This record gives sequence, structure tokens and C-alpha cells, in this order.
Amino acid sequence: MRQTFKLAASALALSIAFQAHAATVPEGTALAEDQTYTFWLLDAIKSMDPQINTDVEGSDVLRNLFEGLYNEDGDGQLVPGVATDHKVSEDGLTYTFTLRDDAKWSNGEPVTAKDFVYAWRRLADPATASEYAWYMELMQVENAPEVIAGEMPPDRLGITAVDDHTLEVRITTPLPYFPQMLVHGSTFPVLQSVVEENGDDWTDAGTLVGNGAYTLTEHTLGERVVMEKNDTYWDSDNTVLTRIVALTINDVNQGLTRYLASELDRVDIPAGQYPRLKEEYPEQAVSTPYNCSYIYMMNVGEKGPEALKDVRVRKALSYAIDRDIVVDRILQGGQRAAYNWTHWAVAGFERPDIEYAGWSQEERLTKARELLEEAGYGPDNPLNLNLQYNTSDDHKKIAIAASQMLKGIGVNLTLDNYEWKVHTDRMQNQEFDLARYAWCGDYNEASTYLDLFTSYSGHNNGEFFNDEYDQVMRDSKTAEDPLPFYQEAELILADQMPIIPIYHYANVDMIAEDIRGLPQNNVNNTWYGKDMYRVAE
Amino acid sequence: MLTYTLKRLAVAIPTLLLLIVVSFLLMHAAPGGPFTAERELPPQVLANLNAKYGLDDPLWKQILTYVWNVVTGFDFGPSFIYKDRTVNEIIAQGFPVTLTYGLLSFAVAVVVGVSLGIAAAVRHNSALDYAAVGVSIGAQVLPNFVMAPILVLVFTLWLGWLPGGGWQGPEYWILPVVALSTSFMASIARITRSSMLEVLTQNHIRTARAKGLPEHRVILRHALKPALLPVISYLGPAFVGMITGSVVVDIYFSTGGIGKAFVDSALNRDYAVMMGVTILMGALTIFFNLVVDLAYAWIDPKIRY
Repeated sequence: MRQTFKLAASALALSIAFQAHAATVPEGTALAEDQTYTFWLLDAIKSMDPQINTDVEGSDVLRNLFEGLYNEDGDGQLVPGVATDHKVSEDGLTYTFTLRDDAKWSNGEPVTAKDFVYAWRRLADPATASEYAWYMELMQVENAPEVIAGEMPPDRLGITAVDDHTLEVRITTPLPYFPQMLVHGSTFPVLQSVVEENGDDWTDAGTLVGNGAYTLTEHTLGERVVMEKNDTYWDSDNTVLTRIVALTINDVNQGLTRYLASELDRVDIPAGQYPRLKEEYPEQAVSTPYNCSYIYMMNVGEKGPEALKDVRVRKALSYAIDRDIVVDRILQGGQRAAYNWTHWAVAGFERPDIEYAGWSQEERLTKARELLEEAGYGPDNPLNLNLQYNTSDDHKKIAIAASQMLKGIGVNLTLDNYEWKVHTDRMQNQEFDLARYAWCGDYNEASTYLDLFTSYSGHNNGEFFNDEYDQVMRDSKTAEDPLPFYQEAELILADQMPIIPIYHYANVDMIAEDIRGLPQNNVNNTWYGKDMYRVAE
Repeated sequence: MLTYTLKRLAVAIPTLLLLIVVSFLLMHAAPGGPFTAERELPPQVLANLNAKYGLDDPLWKQILTYVWNVVTGFDFGPSFIYKDRTVNEIIAQGFPVTLTYGLLSFAVAVVVGVSLGIAAAVRHNSALDYAAVGVSIGAQVLPNFVMAPILVLVFTLWLGWLPGGGWQGPEYWILPVVALSTSFMASIARITRSSMLEVLTQNHIRTARAKGLPEHRVILRHALKPALLPVISYLGPAFVGMITGSVVVDIYFSTGGIGKAFVDSALNRDYAVMMGVTILMGALTIFFNLVVDLAYAWIDPKIRY
């Protein structure tokens, strides 16, 4: 096992070393004079601090201002960032990264291994109070739980600068996908002197010092973020876009209007409008898989309703939902019907043969009625349940459709709409029967989904506690090939049905025709301005 | 008058304190907190966050600390959600924006509304009157969240004359001001019209006309001032309504104003920003009500404080 692991790791290192990076402009391409890219943000950026940010939108900006050990290419494969490659010890617990010697901060100072050490310790340090501190635990970095709890000083964290260009990280469990996790913004380096001199103001435009391909020149909260090309970036000679602008537009329809008025180069398409836009603007409307799954979580725990403790009822509810109607009639943006938990496009994942996925909806309905009757529910003893969802037009539409579908098998679903915080609070206190839930993968690997339903995950709000499931997930961590374990886990979920999978997300965007280099095949949609360019029309 | 003003300002202090305490309690009574997220935080991380922001203190202590910081240092604390910024910074960035388009909208609404109202009253039952009433009723039933997208559709997408949002210069002000001022302008026009119609039937107007004064002097010198009394009582709440109602403008025109920050702070349970903006809005309301009352005394000689 160890040998294979080592081989796999060195293969990864090789593949990293040989990947191309930066904008690869085909020869003979006429570039536009103005290399500005303007994209849409739904909400104001909450923080420009890599260790404080918690949002996807924030990460989109951070990836341009900072650079971590590895980046992703358009297909989601790792390519070198500050690290050029790495070695893994035989036991799979020690990673040694070689850092490039030409990486610089935007103030001209060299980027060294110490900057990573400082950033990672800062993420775990209770004094920073980062909402993403748990990411260090997720990465299994040595002593992370103790440092976060304040039981050990941050310098006991398992990360060491061997020299300026050699970084050593020690983890406690072998994680085959550990390098993939390094693409995450919370692991980006920050410059200690700048952070300490400026306190919370260090992320202000003009003060912020980053090591990414761009520097921050303007940040008006809720209005815009402007980034300009950073000439000290190690690959700035191959960076084509000179300016990246993010406009905050809180209304998605308004965003679309402004896109159509050429004020933006990229915007999300509101639900239901994709078919029309695809017909009208076939070159601009695109739908790509996106690493999130949408489910109804069932409360099978102590505080949940009696009926949901019966697996027959849970299965009946799941079978009765016609996912095709949700994706084809409501969302209409290339999302896919879900019969399992992990997003179908996650790297290295293949859905096992889940029986009910292959049935027709008629068959599912027949089975659902049978199961419900067996469980003792019917016209004389109707089943009444509540479904709660957070405020959103789409959630509402799907919930209404679901309640109609369940009515078909004699289940009365009462819909409860709560604002986001109340919804979340109720879920975390097990005050729900069924609740809308979605999960977006932290990295491009199935465990980011499947770990959630272990009894020890902390996110398992429906309290589905299953020893067999826990064991399968534990075993997957040390397996040569975790896929069979992941498939086994999915089969347990389909057999026990603690959740009703509804659909797998898609990114549904309008993208200006002259923009090149946005990832089309990366399930995390990790994009980098440095890989993009604008062609002459 | 001075004593009256001072008295009113003195009453404002306990009013604001009451506002702070009630808002604080209501805010903490709402389920969820600033750090409630889809991914529940590990207890230790949550404890670290609560410690950093002083949320682990008993509520009474939090209120006292808060009021003390506000009174002694004018310090509204750090935002719990926009963690790179303090509440003072957020208000300093957003409030001037809101104030700019708020004042402009206010000016437009008053000038256009009053003129339209007078014209309609003077030419009572004429085509002008019907047109003015029609326009103002139309404008009033068209809420700003319908107006805003229509304006962007027409002036940005179809005609390409004006930017659809942002806050980079005067050309960015036009659409927000139109969207925000229209319904207030309509109300002012209707109030002015009916009040003017009433005043025009009064004896002192008949006297003025009998003296042989030209009609424009009758209107401007003798009729306008009393006709404006009901308008003025409407202006205080209208101004505050414009500032607080600016959330629609902020959402549709991405101005970066304070209205959106206010609504977000409530939804995000960003206690610090919510308190800061509440106090600001409360102070504004108290201040404008006082201004309106003083303006009353100035216009109406019967009112003396």
C-alpha cells in the first residue's frame, strides 16, 4: 500500500511539474487593446484576508491577489503555484514542498516558506478567531485541534520552514487528496510584517501586500473591487489581463440587464432563463457542472418525528420526488437530477449502481405507495410533515413542487419559510422534520461530501448515526483506492435514505464572447485572472 | 425658541438610549447569531470568536460596554461580518453616498412636487390639473423596486445613455435619484394641490385679489405659505423614509450606500453594524422631526414655542 501511495504521489508531482501555466494564448491570436475583465458579485466581499474569508466570492478575489502552494488549471488539475513540486514520506504523513525562488510579494520582498508557516499558524491561532480554523483540522495538520483549542501554542502546529524554499507539513492521517486541499484560499501565505504593522486595516486597497498576479487598487464595499496587474509576480510576463473589476450587484436580474448592456463580462443566469438565453446568445450562455448538491435533509434523530425513524417512510418520500421536473421545468439550467449525495462530476468519483435511480417515476411512485402503506400510513392515517427552507424564489418553487408530488402519495407537507439565520439555527438544533440543505465541496474529491454523514462530522444535522457508514469512511482514508469505499457509503445512504437528494448544481453563466481562459471543465470553478485574456473582436 | 430647542435635544438623549437598549435586546432575541453558518463551527472556534467580539459576556455587560464605547469614543466597534472594517468605516463609506442621493432626491421631490401641485391647483379642473393628478397617482402606484429595473432597462440597456449602477461620478446619480424621488414627488404634489385648493378659497386670498394684486403675487405671497404647512409636516418623515428606504436604490443601483448595509446587518446578525446604523437613523429621525417643528413655527405665526 505504502509503495503505491508513494508512486501515486510522485506521479502527481510529475504531472504538476509538466503542466503549463499562465495564459496560453495560441499563436496568431489578436488580443484586444483593453485587457480588462469585469465580473459580477452578488454580495459585498466580506474580507480580503485569506485566513478570515469564508465566501466563495471572496475566494475568487483572493486567488488573484495571493497565490498558494498549488493552483488549478481549467480541468481542475493541480499546477504549480508557489510550490514547484513536493515529496511525500513513505508513511504518507510528511509533505516536503519545494518553493520557487522567484516568487515575490507585491512590495518586492521574496516569498519564503516562513510566510506559509506564519499564515497557517495564524489560521489556527485562537487569537485570530478564524471561522475557517477548522480547515486546518480537516487537513489533519499535526496538533491543529490542540492549537485551535488554545491548549498548545501556534508554533506547535505541524508546519516548518526547513529553509527559505523548503516547507515541511506533517499530518496525522494519510490523505490522498491533501495536495488538492492546498488550492483553498485559507492556506494562502500572508506577509507577517504587513499584517502586524497595519492590524485589521492591512487588507485596505493600497496597504494590502499580496503575492498574486494582481494587486488591490480599489475596494468600495458593496460597489466594486478593482485589481491591477502586479509586475512583481513571478509569471507576470505571461499575464495578459491587466485589470480585473468585480461589481457588486445584489439583484441577479439586474446583473443580467447590465451584462446585456455590456457593463459586465460574466454574470449568473437567473433560474429558468437559461433556455431562452441559450437560444438567443448560444455563444455566451454556458452551463458547467458545479461542485454542490441540493438535498432535503430528514431529521432521523431523537427530536425528529416518529415517522421519519422508519426507513420505509424515508424511502417513500424520496421515491415520490420527481427530480426531472425540478431540473427540467423549474431550474432549466443544465443541473442534473440527483439520486445520490456526491456531485457526479467530482474527480475520481463514479456513482455506484443505485437501484431506484434506474426506475421510471411510475415505478418509484408505486413503490413509494407500497412502502408508505406497509409503514401504516394511508388515507385513514395520513402522514403530516413540515418542510422548511430558507428565503429564496428557487427554494420556494422546488418546495411547492415537492409538496404537490408528496400529496400524490398521501403525504401532507406543510411548507415553512425562514430567513437564512433562523433556518440554519433550527437545523443545527434539530428543530425540523425535513429541511432544505446544500453542500459545496471544499475540494474536488468525494470525501468532502461523504464525511458529512459520519456520526462525528459536526454537520450531520439530521443525526443519521450509522456505525457501518462511519467504518466505511474511516477505512477509505487509508485505502489505496478509496472509490469502492465511497461507493459503499453512497449505497448505505441509498439504503437508509437519511436525505432526499434533489439535484447536482451547475454554474449557469453568461460569458462575453471575447473572453478566453475561464475554466469550462473545473467542477470547483476555480478561475485565475492570470490564465485569461481578451481577444480582439 | 432656543429653550424649546434645547429641551427637545435633551429629551433626545434618553430616547436614543431607550432605542439602543430595545434594539439590542430585540437583536439578541432573534434566533441565530453572527457566526451561525451552514457549516456549523466547531465549539472551540465559536468560543474563540465569541471571546474576540465580547459575545461571551452577559447581555447587560455587553450593552454597558457598547454604550460606554459609543458615548466616550464614538466607537461603534468592529463589524462581525465585514471583518476588515469597523462600523465607523462602514458608515463613513456608505452614509455620504446615501446622503448624497437622499438629499438630491429630496430636493427634486420638493421642487417638482410643489411646482406640480401649485400648477394643478391654480389651473384647477384644467387639462394641466388632470395631467398632474394622473402623473402623480401613476408615480405613486409605481413603487421604486419596479421603477428601478425599468429605468435601467430603458436608459442603460435600450438607450445606452446612463450607467446601470455603481457610484463613480454624477452620471451615476441620475437613475437612483429618479427612482427614489418619484413617489415622494407624487405625494408632495397631491398634498400641495389639495392644500392649495383649500387655501385659495379663504378670505385673505379674496382680499388680496380684491386689492387688485396680480395673480402670481397672490399665489406666491399669500397662498403658498399656508398651503405648505401640511407639506412640511410630511417632509420630516419623508426625508427619513428616503434615507431608510434607500435599500432598494442600493440593491438595484449598487451604490454602496448604507441602506443595503442596514438590511444585510439584520439578516447577517451583524450586531455592531445593525446597532450603529439604527442609532444613526434614530438620531436622524429625531433631528428632522425637530427641524420640521421649528419650520412650522417659522411659517405659521399661530404656532409659538
